[in-house]
Amino acid sequence: MNPELMPFDHRPDPALGAALRQALTAADDAAFVARVLARVARAPIAHWDVLASWARAGIAVAAVAALVAGFLVRRAVTNPTSLEDVLVAAAGPSARALVISSRPPDASVVLAAVEEP
Amino acid sequence: MASDPQPPGEGARIAAETDGELVARTLAGEQAAFGILVERYAASVRRVARAVLGDPDDADDAAQDALLAALVKLRQYDPRRPFGPWLMRIAANAATDRRRRRRVRRTEPLDRNVVAGGTLPDAETDRRVLGQRLRDALSQLPERRRVAVVLFDVEGYSHAEIGRVLGIPEGTVRSEVFHARRALRSLLADWREDGSG
Repeated sequence: MNPELMPFDHRPDPALGAALRQALTAADDAAFVARVLARVARAPIAHWDVLASWARAGIAVAAVAALVAGFLVRRAVTNPTSLEDVLVAAAGPSARALVISSRPPDASVVLAAVEEP
Repeated sequence: MASDPQPPGEGARIAAETDGELVARTLAGEQAAFGILVERYAASVRRVARAVLGDPDDADDAAQDALLAALVKLRQYDPRRPFGPWLMRIAANAATDRRRRRRVRRTEPLDRNVVAGGTLPDAETDRRVLGQRLRDALSQLPERRRVAVVLFDVEGYSHAEIGRVLGIPEGTVRSEVFHARRALRSLLADWREDGSG
């Protein structure tokens, strides 16, 4: 420990640093390096990069899909389709007349509308 | 450290390629380049992890996690900045994560030679006793303080770099180093007054 150095000194304390280094340094760096590199070899970096790029692409696709779905849901909520529109689209002009008429239809008209191709 | 991205005393013995060159080669698919980076920084990463975790086995697991995480995140590294602080940040985070997952820390068994006082030469025994006391003293400090003093006094990083590692202002780093030094120096002084050193 360097007595000239105050605790607030901006310079590293060589004595304290050396003592701490000795206290914290683990044995056999070479074995540790070999262990890490063996682990890396089991999961090559190229594979991780590919997986990472896949993940990025997947997130982008999911975001676009969510935007499209949100747009469709919002459009459906703000412009609800009436029963009349559905019948018009599905069954043609006779069914439309049947629905919007204020008088109850004759049974033959109903049957004719159903039988209409 | 800003002008010299390699940890003091350890980079010199390894190839003189810069960290940035090694990162570029690693990203180009050269696993050997990453091997050089691991060799260059293994000791520092292990020390930082041990400062956080105490237990040497836990520390090595965390250090390995950190180096693998660095490899996976390597594209995020900005080569205009020094590599060491970027890696130390990953190391400190990996060690903290591991400590949180394992709240009950195993205590490191005392060296039998130290306990028995026995077969080792006096100087070696003194060295081990001091090491044990320093580790004990470190473990009493708040985690951020431990990492700050190790990065400053052992690894040689600047206050500004440590601030980026820990995500705190430079002034706070100075304060953390100050408090850590005061505690550790007092321990060293007591140890010497006891006639142990």
